[in-house]
Amino acid sequence: MKRITLFTVLCLLLGQFRAMAQDDLLGDLVKEDSAKPKQNITAGTFKSTRVINMQSVEMTGKGNLQFMISHHFGNVWENGKGWSNLANFLGLNAGVANTLLSLDYSPTTWGNVGLALTGKAQYEVWGKIKLLRQQTGERNIPITLDWFSTMHIDCSEGASPEDFVWNRMSYLHQILIARKFNDKLSLQLTPSYVHYNYTPFYDYKSSGGHQANNVFSVGVGGRYKFTSKKALTFEYSRQLNGYKDLYSSETGSMINYYPDIISLGYDWDTGGHIFQFYVSSTTAASNITQLSRNTSDFKQGNFSLGFTINRSFGVKKVVKTAP
Amino acid sequence: MKHILLLTLSIVLGVSLLNAQTYKTRDGYLTFNPNKDQSHKDYAAASKEATAVLKVETSEVALLVPMKTFHFNNALLEEHFNENYLHTDKIPNASYKGKLIGFTKDMLEKDGTYNFTSEGQITLHGVTQAFKSPVKLEVKNKVATFYCDFPIQADKFNIDIPAVVKPKLADQTPISATIKFQL
Repeated sequence: MKRITLFTVLCLLLGQFRAMAQDDLLGDLVKEDSAKPKQNITAGTFKSTRVINMQSVEMTGKGNLQFMISHHFGNVWENGKGWSNLANFLGLNAGVANTLLSLDYSPTTWGNVGLALTGKAQYEVWGKIKLLRQQTGERNIPITLDWFSTMHIDCSEGASPEDFVWNRMSYLHQILIARKFNDKLSLQLTPSYVHYNYTPFYDYKSSGGHQANNVFSVGVGGRYKFTSKKALTFEYSRQLNGYKDLYSSETGSMINYYPDIISLGYDWDTGGHIFQFYVSSTTAASNITQLSRNTSDFKQGNFSLGFTINRSFGVKKVVKTAP
Repeated sequence: MKHILLLTLSIVLGVSLLNAQTYKTRDGYLTFNPNKDQSHKDYAAASKEATAVLKVETSEVALLVPMKTFHFNNALLEEHFNENYLHTDKIPNASYKGKLIGFTKDMLEKDGTYNFTSEGQITLHGVTQAFKSPVKLEVKNKVATFYCDFPIQADKFNIDIPAVVKPKLADQTPISATIKFQL
């Protein structure tokens, strides 16, 4: 009997203790929350859907429509032109500029489709798919991996009247591999493949010029964020075919093409828009032209100024006012 | 002998459980729209993963919301919310701890709508402030739903909003919470 009494008292005491332990309601919630396994998916590897010229692993958020204006001015300084470079206001007032206007939409968190006007009667449609997302937690993935494909069509007035639509198409396929190392530093590696359905004057053995249907290149890019809203970006891309001379499809004359593109940029996030200002050794607006038919030689100091403005709109309202 | 022991044990445990009657929920819903023009829903956000407890005897309540569970209509704003305004990597949670003043146990037993106030402390962005707000309770079919609409002033919680964005936002962000308990 004594033992029972003792036990009862003990139980009562324990019961009291239990009740007391539950007094810290918030502490319990916090404990419970921190015990839950958490998957930390890395966000904001880059500020924009482009590093500078090349695509970044980022895509417009789900249900969001993004409008992008990208502008490449003329060369800042051209050798031999002397003071007229100043009259051209370092390329800003040169009258040669390529504009890219694009709209893209993400129906899901992992897929993005878009279309663009890339200047000189050229159009592009593209798709971007997120295959891997950098994350830590129960599952660790060190990188973000995207697939990007563009179809490009040249609608300009051609040299030959028997031009088929098919002959005017070219494609770009890229794998975007990026890692956000910390809050500030992100790097990206981008192998690319450009395919032209048709290239005129292919007989380079007799003509001495190069013209290939398939152009390979590899690019690296990165950004360093120095405040939460401002970042420096860089990019280098090298065409692996290394062609320097190709024939223009329009005129048949020889044009010099350069395989390297170097770009340096500055990202500025104002809260609603993302501005990107850059100098780049290309004046082309389309990724395909940049990677396979770049006419600016950085060794001669052919750099041009450019900017990109992004604005995204929440088209599909995901937030409900009540559960 | 053994029976008595078991009986005592069950009584004691029963009593202690009854003593500490608490209700818990994992799908508390919080939503806010920081826009000055409330009909404009572009900046609106919501979380449906707030956890809450209600301790009936003492009318104590606590609520915890992981900030990363807030999702926005505009994905860019969600990034800003996490990275620039609330620094959710460093300060992952917001919480509330307080009492329901005027709440009684019988309210949960009878269907109806009740009004009282809640007083306590709210912690957001690492800053704790005193809090007082009216609360509406609706009990229906064994479900108790607490509704609470309250304003939050960003600068009171050290949330830095850039001058460019400020004119577009309401001075007091209205937040509405809907917390459902299964009785």
